[in-house]
Amino acid sequence: MLRIQNLTKIYPNGTKALTDVSFNVQDGEFLVVIGLSGSGKSTLLRCINRLIEPTRGKIFWDDMDITAASPAELRRIRRQIGMVFQQFNLVKRSSVMTNVLSGRLGYTNPWLSLLGIWSAADKQRALEALERVGIADKAGNRADSLSGGQQQRVGIARALMQEPRLILADEPVASLDPVLSHSILQYLEQLNKDGKTIICSLHFLDLVHRYATRVIALKDGYKVFEGLPSEIDRVKFKEIYGEEAQEVRATTL
Amino acid sequence: MTEKPNRSSSNHLPAGNTAESRSGSPILSAILSALMPGAGQFYAGQRYRGVAMLIAMLVITGMVFWYGNPIWYLSPIAVWLWNIWDAISLTKRGKGRTLLLPVLFSLIAAYSIGWQLIGINFSAASADRAMAVLRPMLRPDLFETRKELNQMWTYVSVPCSATETPPPARREVDGKVAFATPDCAGPGGTLIVSVSGMWPNADTIVWWETAIGDDKPLGGNENAPLIVRTDETGSLTTAIRVPSTVLIAQPDPTLMLQHKVYFDQYRPIGGFQLSTNGRYVLQGMIETVTMALMATTLAVLLAVPISFLAARNLMGGNPITFGIYVIVRTILNIVRSIESLIIAIVFVIIVGLGPFAGMLAIAVHSVAALAKLYSEVIEGIDPGPIEAIRATGANWLQVVRYGVIPQIVPPFTAFTIYRWDINVRSSTIVGFVGGGGIGWYLVQWIQINEMRAVSAAFIAIAIVVVTLDYISARVRERLV
Repeated sequence: MLRIQNLTKIYPNGTKALTDVSFNVQDGEFLVVIGLSGSGKSTLLRCINRLIEPTRGKIFWDDMDITAASPAELRRIRRQIGMVFQQFNLVKRSSVMTNVLSGRLGYTNPWLSLLGIWSAADKQRALEALERVGIADKAGNRADSLSGGQQQRVGIARALMQEPRLILADEPVASLDPVLSHSILQYLEQLNKDGKTIICSLHFLDLVHRYATRVIALKDGYKVFEGLPSEIDRVKFKEIYGEEAQEVRATTL
Repeated sequence: MTEKPNRSSSNHLPAGNTAESRSGSPILSAILSALMPGAGQFYAGQRYRGVAMLIAMLVITGMVFWYGNPIWYLSPIAVWLWNIWDAISLTKRGKGRTLLLPVLFSLIAAYSIGWQLIGINFSAASADRAMAVLRPMLRPDLFETRKELNQMWTYVSVPCSATETPPPARREVDGKVAFATPDCAGPGGTLIVSVSGMWPNADTIVWWETAIGDDKPLGGNENAPLIVRTDETGSLTTAIRVPSTVLIAQPDPTLMLQHKVYFDQYRPIGGFQLSTNGRYVLQGMIETVTMALMATTLAVLLAVPISFLAARNLMGGNPITFGIYVIVRTILNIVRSIESLIIAIVFVIIVGLGPFAGMLAIAVHSVAALAKLYSEVIEGIDPGPIEAIRATGANWLQVVRYGVIPQIVPPFTAFTIYRWDINVRSSTIVGFVGGGGIGWYLVQWIQINEMRAVSAAFIAIAIVVVTLDYISARVRERLV
């Protein structure tokens, strides 16, 4: 179980990205974070694995305090938390295989990995991860030769290499053609059914209704909603996104 | 010039806003502009226009006055007239005249002065001189036909000694006999030389080698080869004069020493080989290419660490590192602006003539150029993959190895090859100031008017540069 208590992040330039955000995530949940661009979704996800240092507040994973972890402990925590990014964040000039293998860096012998030497077991695992997302035949290609949807699947395969208990997905489908959204989210849903906890930020409400088991909404860094996806009606929607907002459906695009 | 330009300040209007310029007296503004260019415009409220007009007028007049040919005063006069016309229009219509005319007149003045300063003079060109240079260049001295040498020589004693009897000036080898009579002679003395057993009916070069190994021609006025043809039995006999300079550089000119008279015959044996100058060209090109290689390698080693100091995204964090960034960037820009040819002059003084000086000069210039290119690569790094690798639990070194290096090594390599390509071109000219390589030979051939060797060097440079250019373009295509 992940417990987030009074999480606050103030950037050095004074921007308050998160203010006193608290919520719990049970193991096996598919939690979706919604909110406008700039509402603090990305900051929240990055605070959980401390890619961004929180200013105040605590994050407990089971009984471990992530916010108080030493650098070595933090690396051990991070390797159990897979992350999928909006811009995929692949090393474009490296091969798909190298990108996937790099997900294993937290587990391998650091010196061998610096020389680029990988165990046969890791290579096998990488091929299996690529097979699981359906692009094993692209293993030797350069990452930037793949389409956006394929690149995001490489991103998921990289996260799988970590054998994660938790996956953070930061708008994983926002850079993709809307028709590809379901194919990517179905991989995440499958992983969720295999017992991994998913925390995912999304833009499209119909995707939220379809995949989320629970929803948190952020507005200007404050948590403004926490509940089941079915509880988000037109009134709530206007509350979260403002009066101007019009709901757009991914499937109708 | 008593009018103060600030008299219109009470009705100040936004400068450059022609549509709203306040009207005044056209006559007054014309007089003002006639007395001082721009004053009328100033009076009409167009302050920038007025100041610009005054400065432009001063510059044009100054240039023409300094370099002047009287006829060029047309330009400033035309601009001055336009300036009055413009001032009248401004006050009358509230709108100035097009700037096209004064710009045109200024350009005419600038080009006229340029023509005079450059000393353009097509009548100075001489077709005869051009042909004297170009004709030998059409026969580059790179290869020659392979030739076989048939050589014979005999000793001759110079000068005759009062006390010693000279050894006989006669030598017999492999059925070839060469001899001279008498056995000794002084400088300028006449000798009869004979050789037999050589190839029949073949041109034979007869030449002198002094006791210390200097070659002396025996034909003409001691300045051309003496060529004599053998008869059908392979013999020849000819009279020679002992060159007057054979005793120069000999410590004791009265000491009798053994000099040699040579008989050389050549005949083609088929095929081609590098000529003597061709060998120098080859040697010079090898020196040039390796000089560029060494310079580039040295430059890379220095430029990589410096480039990190010159990358804004790494150094912009706090005032101290940003200060270092500014200093490093400034130094790089200054060093980069100095041609390696000029740096080579300095290094020739410090380390002496030769390719080492050229290598150092090219390396210094390349460090600055490469560090700037590298730092721009570092500034263009995508932070996304670095974030992703950190998120996997990788340590700092692993992040650098898997997130940073794959992003920078291919462009670094591409820029390095590109630089090597440029450096080969630079190293062909640093030799002109003593920096070694093909330029070192080239400048000397130019000075002794050895145009056939010069054109051979041109051809070699072109082949090497074009080849490297092609290879480096292909390699860079693959990397980027």
